[in-house]
Amino acid sequence: MELLLQKFSEVSFLSGIPSALLFVFAATLIAVSLFMFVAVNAIVAVYAERKISAFMQDRLGPMGQGVGLHAGKWGLLQTVADAIKLLIKEDIIPSLADRKLFILAPFILFIGAFIVFVGIPFNQHILVADFNIGVFYIIAMSSIGVIGIILAGYGSNNKWALYGAMRSAAQIISYEIPLALSLLTVIMLVGSLKMQDIIIAQHGLIWGILPNWFIFNNPFTFIAFFIFFISGVAEVNRTPFDLPEAESELVAGFHTEYSGMRWAFFFLAEYANMFIVAAMSAILFLGGWQSPIPGYMDSPAWGLFWFMGKAIFLIFVMMWFRWTFPRLRTDQLMQMCWKYFLPISFINILGVGLWDLWLN
Amino acid sequence: MIRYFSNIWQSITTLLIGLRITLVHLAKARKGIVTLQYPEERWPRPERNIGFSHDSYNVIRSRLHVDIDDCIGCLKCVRACPVDCIHIKTVKVEKGTDILEANHIGITSNGTQKRLLLTRFDIDMSECCYCNLCVYPCPEDCIFMTGGPNSSKQEIDYEFSEYNRSDLIYRFAKVPKDQVEKYTPPPKEKVKIDVAG
Repeated sequence: MELLLQKFSEVSFLSGIPSALLFVFAATLIAVSLFMFVAVNAIVAVYAERKISAFMQDRLGPMGQGVGLHAGKWGLLQTVADAIKLLIKEDIIPSLADRKLFILAPFILFIGAFIVFVGIPFNQHILVADFNIGVFYIIAMSSIGVIGIILAGYGSNNKWALYGAMRSAAQIISYEIPLALSLLTVIMLVGSLKMQDIIIAQHGLIWGILPNWFIFNNPFTFIAFFIFFISGVAEVNRTPFDLPEAESELVAGFHTEYSGMRWAFFFLAEYANMFIVAAMSAILFLGGWQSPIPGYMDSPAWGLFWFMGKAIFLIFVMMWFRWTFPRLRTDQLMQMCWKYFLPISFINILGVGLWDLWLN
Repeated sequence: MIRYFSNIWQSITTLLIGLRITLVHLAKARKGIVTLQYPEERWPRPERNIGFSHDSYNVIRSRLHVDIDDCIGCLKCVRACPVDCIHIKTVKVEKGTDILEANHIGITSNGTQKRLLLTRFDIDMSECCYCNLCVYPCPEDCIFMTGGPNSSKQEIDYEFSEYNRSDLIYRFAKVPKDQVEKYTPPPKEKVKIDVAG
């Protein structure tokens, strides 16, 4: 953001424009480009998900063959066609729904996902704002989404939607705790909440061969990474933690009554949230934009490549989870969080503290 | 306490087994796919052993086919059909002459001279009940079920998958569409009866 404003001030024909207007212009430009990123991410991820699920189940997934290639070669245009269909679909609002909340809910959920992108560094320079409280901001903002889910469930006036919303409230709030606690281990090691500081702290080698990423730093952060990632998967309501939308029990959970564009916003938010969890795991534990071989391929372009590569790999792992594991029952979900993740996270924090004291 | 840790260990190992299975399937994706992209690819028709030669197996019920060059327009099949799915219209022409522009050949392969030009020979396969009754009365053996003993004349077809239901009406008449009018006789004028007179 600062970089963009600085570039604007250097351009001569923009010098007459007041800085406040320039700021608004820069913010709009960034917001639009981020929205494009979220939309393209969703389109690509939906396609990838359908293909990966198909291959894992020995199917073909979306395909186009023969005259006219129905959905493009290998079905590449399938998600584009889906998006167009969602855009032109009728917008149905149930007559007994709470109209205002029903309309508001998908946007709150989407904003909760979208606003987090402000804090995510894509490489050394592409970062909208590097807050002092970057990690805290991301954790706080990604919790906004649960309000959208509860509003959607309540506003739909539908028992399935309400069940889904209540489940998601319980689930997201429980899993926030091990998520934040395992994140604390990293912050204890770095001593800063700033995103770029966390990434720069992971430069160099450890144990002689491994890159100095926090996942390899010590056994406690190794466990913390998995707790963080699995809690993150639970946070974004993906299988095996998809109780809020459990399609075999609750039709479609909190978005049962939604269709067309509003439903598309739920989907955009889900895939944006997936990216956020993958990106956060990559930044905190896998070195963000750092190259796996320190000193080589360290330029900003390579930085973007490494960061996106790590994030996309973790998104793939999430899809892999989804098509492998069956859904947890509510009591199993709670047991996993409170009986296993939470105590282990506390031990992790203690362990990291002692490790840090012992080594430094 | 031991149970607590054994639970963790068991869940991790079993989850990894599951992940391995799906990963193997993903890696072998090119080989093991069972989907056939239907209109372009088909399963091969299984060769079945019915105890005797396929050629003598004469009750195969697949799809009706007409060798229109041999049809003399006698309407016996129309009368035999219990569901009235065969529709024939004929026009009288000079006996035994070829009318090339209407694809009409005056003599059948059995040597019978044709005196009727077929302007319409439609079989609606969506109505057909596969009773095979139309096949027996045909004097020229020109209507038959595809495949089986007739597979030398017409390859078997049992799929009937069409985009439109009207495509299931098989039109066998060879008279070009724009020339049907030409060969259709003018309708007879109704004789008015003057009641008052």
